[in-house]
Amino acid sequence: MTATTASRSTQRLNSPAEPSEQESTAATGCPAAPGAPQPSGRKRQLGHVINTRTARNWGIGAVCLVVPIALMWAFDKSQIGQLTLGLGSGALIAAIALGVVLTYKGSGVVNFSNGAVAIFSAYIFHGLRGSFDNGNGKLYMPPLPNPLALVEGTWNSFVTNKSDWVDLPNLPTKIDIDFGNGRMPMVTAFLVALVYAALLGLIFHFLIFRPLRHAPPLAKVVTSVGLFLLLINVITLRFTGTFKPVAEPDLGKKTLKPFGNDIVIQREQLIAAGLVVFVTAVLTVVFKRTRFGLATRAAAENEKGAVVLGFSPEFLAGANWVLSTVVAGTFGILVSAITGLDPITLPFLIIPALGAALLGSFNSFWITSFAGLGIGMIQALTKTFTAKSWFPREWIPQSGLERALPFFIIIIVLFVRGRSLPQRGAVSAGRLPFAPKPNKILWPTVLLSAGALVTVFAFGYDWRQASINTLVGAALALSLVVITGYVGQISLAQAALAGVAGFAMSKFFQSWLPFPLAPLAGALVAAGFGLLIALPALRVRGVNLAVVTLAAALAIEELVLKNAKLAGRSGVLAVDPPRINGLDFGPGNTNLRVFEIKAFKDPNVPPSAWFGVLCLVVVVLLAVMVANVRRSGTGRRFLAVRSNERAAAAAGVSVAGTKLLAFGLSAFIAGIGGAMSGYRFGSVAPSNFGALASITLLAFAYLGGISSVTGAVVAGMIGVNALAFTLLDKRTGIDLKYTVILGAVGLIFTAIQNPEGIAGALRLGTGQFRRKRHLELVEIGGPG
Amino acid sequence: MSLLNTFGMSVTFGGLRAVDEIDFEVPKGSLVGLIGPNGAGKTTLIDGLTGFVPTSGRMVFDGHEIGSLAAHKRAALGLGRTWQSLELFDELSVEENLQVAAERQSAKAFLLDLVHPQRSRDRSGVDFALDVLGIRDLATKMPNEISQGQRKLVSAARALAARPKLVCMDEPAAGLDTRESQELGARLGDIIDAGTSVLLVDHDMGLVLNVCDYIYVIEFGSKIAEGTPAEIKNNPKVIEAYLGQSAGATVGARP
Repeated sequence: MTATTASRSTQRLNSPAEPSEQESTAATGCPAAPGAPQPSGRKRQLGHVINTRTARNWGIGAVCLVVPIALMWAFDKSQIGQLTLGLGSGALIAAIALGVVLTYKGSGVVNFSNGAVAIFSAYIFHGLRGSFDNGNGKLYMPPLPNPLALVEGTWNSFVTNKSDWVDLPNLPTKIDIDFGNGRMPMVTAFLVALVYAALLGLIFHFLIFRPLRHAPPLAKVVTSVGLFLLLINVITLRFTGTFKPVAEPDLGKKTLKPFGNDIVIQREQLIAAGLVVFVTAVLTVVFKRTRFGLATRAAAENEKGAVVLGFSPEFLAGANWVLSTVVAGTFGILVSAITGLDPITLPFLIIPALGAALLGSFNSFWITSFAGLGIGMIQALTKTFTAKSWFPREWIPQSGLERALPFFIIIIVLFVRGRSLPQRGAVSAGRLPFAPKPNKILWPTVLLSAGALVTVFAFGYDWRQASINTLVGAALALSLVVITGYVGQISLAQAALAGVAGFAMSKFFQSWLPFPLAPLAGALVAAGFGLLIALPALRVRGVNLAVVTLAAALAIEELVLKNAKLAGRSGVLAVDPPRINGLDFGPGNTNLRVFEIKAFKDPNVPPSAWFGVLCLVVVVLLAVMVANVRRSGTGRRFLAVRSNERAAAAAGVSVAGTKLLAFGLSAFIAGIGGAMSGYRFGSVAPSNFGALASITLLAFAYLGGISSVTGAVVAGMIGVNALAFTLLDKRTGIDLKYTVILGAVGLIFTAIQNPEGIAGALRLGTGQFRRKRHLELVEIGGPG
Repeated sequence: MSLLNTFGMSVTFGGLRAVDEIDFEVPKGSLVGLIGPNGAGKTTLIDGLTGFVPTSGRMVFDGHEIGSLAAHKRAALGLGRTWQSLELFDELSVEENLQVAAERQSAKAFLLDLVHPQRSRDRSGVDFALDVLGIRDLATKMPNEISQGQRKLVSAARALAARPKLVCMDEPAAGLDTRESQELGARLGDIIDAGTSVLLVDHDMGLVLNVCDYIYVIEFGSKIAEGTPAEIKNNPKVIEAYLGQSAGATVGARP
C-alpha cells in the first residue's frame, strides 16, 4: 500500500496521470459548458447532488417503464406479453452487468469476459447433467498444459515419418460422474458449476489482474479480452461450437394470462427477472449496510480507506471478483433453459451488459440491473417489430437490429453523460509499450521479403498458404499499430472496418474499377467508417473507448455486413481475382507465369505463388508507410497525443484532429487488409470480419507487439493458420485448433510479464546489454 | 504596445471563483511576473489563458479574441506555456519533443510524411530553443535519461521551439538552487531579447523581483497589487498578505 502511494508520487513526475475529463475536454477542443460541474465544487455539493440525481434517475426509470406500457395497453395489448419475453435474457444481461460493476468497484477492472464466465458455468452445469453425453454426467476438465506434450513434441520433431510418432498419454478431457442414475443431481451440479465460477474469479484476480494493477488501461483491456477469447475457445473445444437448446433448469414453466387472452406471459421469464431483482437487492444491502461493502466503497475512492477499516484491499478485490463470477455464473445456469447454450452470441451479451453498467455509472446496482432487464425487453420488442410486415427488412437485417441495439444505447449514454466511468482512487500511470523509432528499415525489409519469397516459391502449398495468411494478418495488425500503438486509442473494431472495405469493394467497386483502384476505393469507405467511430473517441478514452468500439464492431457486423442492400442476401459476397495487365493474379490461378516462373514445389496447387508476391508487395508498401509515419512529424504528433493530451494541445497539436487522422489512416490500412483477405478467399463473409474477429485481431496484434511494424509482422506470423502454428503443427503435431487458445494464453502472459510484445522482447533482448550499461552510468551520474 | 490583455477574466469551479475578475496586461517584449501565495489561482489563471479551463470575461492576444478558442489554436497563434509538472512526452526524445511544438500540421505534410519522412524541415525553432537554453547536448536523450533540472529546461525549450510571441512559465525555478535560479534569470533575458515576451509565475521572490519589468500580485483569485519590482517590494498590502513582515525584510536584503 505504502509502496503504491510512494511510487505513484514519483511516477507523476515521469509520466503524468491521465488528464481528468474536464481538462481534456478543453484539450480536445470542445469548450466545456460554463455550467459544467467542476472538480472542486463537486465535493462541496456531493450529498445534495447525489440525492437529486438518485431521485431523478428513479423518476426517469419510472417514466421509461410506465409510458410505453400505458401506450401498449391502449393500442396493442399483445405487445406487453412480447415485452416480458425478454425478461429471461434481460436477467442474464443484468447479472453479467452486476458482475461487471462488482469487479469494477472491487478492483477497477472492466471485465469484458464476464459474459463468457456466465456461459462457461452453464456449460459445466450441463456437462454434469449429461446434456452433452446422452444423459451421462461428465465433469469437463479445462485444457491444462501437459508436461508430457513437451517430451512427445521434442521426440516427434526428430521423427520424419508421421506414422512413427509416439503418442504419450494426454490429460483427461472429462471425468465420469456417476451418482447412480448416470448424472449429478441438479443442486449438486449447480453448486459444482458455481465452484468453477468462483475458481475463475479467484484465478482472474490473484493470478492475472493483481499483477496488472499498475498497468495502463490498454493492458487490462487486452487481458480481459484475452480471457474472453480463451473461455469461448475452451467451450468450443470441450463442448460444441454451435447452438444447443436445453430443457433445464426449469424455473416453473407455465403460460399465464392474467389480463385476458391478449396478454400472454411466460412464468419462468417473470421468475428469472424476480431472481435478479432479489440479487440486486441483496447486493445493495450488502454494500450499504455491511463493513465489507463499506470497505469496498472506500477502497474504490482510496485504497487507504479500506485499510483503515481493517480490510486488505487484496481481500476485498478478490472477494468482489468471486461475487462477480458467481452472480454471472448463477444466472448463466438459471436462464440457460430460456436462452439455450451458444458459445458465441451469449458471451457477447457482455456488450448490452456493459451498456447497462454504463447507465448505472459502474456504481448503482439498481440502475444497472433494471437497465439490463430493460435492454432485454427492448430487444424482445424489437424482435416483434422486425417480424411485422411493414418492417423494411430489405434495408435493415431483422436479427441485426436487435443485436446492434446496445451500441446505440451505449453511444447515447456516453454522449449524454460525457463522463462515464468514475476515476478510481488508485490511479496508476503505467507506461504503454515503447514505440521505437525505426532507424534502418531497408535491410529488415529486404531480408524479410526474401524469406517470404523463398517460402512462397520453394516450399509446398501449405507453407505458401501459411505465408499468405501471415501477410494478410500483418496488414490487419499494422492498422492497430497506427491507432493503438502510436496514438494509444484502443480499437476493438478493426476487423469490422476491414470487412466494410471488403464488402464495399465486392458490392460496389470491383465491377467497374480496375485492380488497384477497387480495393483503394473500398479502403476509403472503411476510412469513412473509421472517422465515424472516431467521433466518440473525441469524447471518451481508455476502457470506455474499448466498449464503444466493440459495440460498434458488432453493430457494423449486424447492420452493414449482414445487410441485404449493402452486402449479399446470405451475407457472403464473391470477390473477383485481381487483374494486372489482363493477367489473373488471384490465388486460384496457378497457371500464371511471370518471367516464365512458377512455384517450384506443388506448382499446380492453389494458392498461386504470384498471389503471394502481390500480397508481399502490398504489405511492404503498408509497412514502409507505417514506419514512415513513426519517423515523421505526423508520428511525433501521434505519440505526443498518446503520451499527454494536455501537453500536446499546449504544443499546438490538435488532439481531436490527430485522433481523427489516426482513426482514418488506421481504418484505411485495415481496409486494404480486408480487401487482401477477400482476394485470398475469393469471397467476403461476415463471420470473418465481425466483433469476434476484431477481438482476436487485437489479441494477436498485442501479443506480437502493438507498437512497432516488426510487432505487426510477428502478429501476422502467429495468427490463425499462419506460419508459426503451421510449423508447430508440422513439427510437434499440436493441432491448429489450439491456435487461438495458445494465442490467448500467450496474450495474458504477455500483458503481465512483457507488455512490449514478442517484437519488443526481441528488441530488448538484443539491446539489453547496451541499455543496462547506459542506465548504470546514469545512476552513478555518468553521462547527462 | 500590449500583446495580451484580459478584461474581467474569471474562472469558476462550481461555487468557487478561482480567478475573480482579473485585468492585466503583458506589453510586447516585456517580462511580467505573477506572484501570490499557494492556492492564489496562479496556475488556474495560466490554464484559463491557454485554454485548459473555461473562462468568462475577455482575453485579447495579439489582436485576437482568444476566449472561445481551443487550446491548440491559442498555441498556434503564438501563446505558449510550460507546466509545473513538466508534462514532457516520455516516449519521444528531447529533440522530438521540441519538434512536436515546432512543426505545423497540414494535409500536404501528412501525405509527404507517408512517403518521405526524412525530408529536411524548417529547424529554426528547434535550434533556437536548444541554443537559447544551452541544451543542445541533450537533443538525442530520452526524458527519463536526464536529470530533473534538465527536464525543466527541456520543458521550457519545448514551449520556445514553436517561436511563441508570449510564453507563460509556470514555476520554472521550483526546485532549482540559487545558482541555477540565477542562471535561469539570465536565460529569461536572452528569451526576451530574442523577441518572446514572458509571463512568469514563480515562488522564488529573488528571481521574480530581479528579472521582471512589472509584477502582479494575486490572492484568493483577486488582484491585490501591481507595479514595478520596487513598488511591489514596498507595498504594505503585499508584505502583509504574501511576504509577511520577516519575509519582506529578507527580500529587501537580497541583492
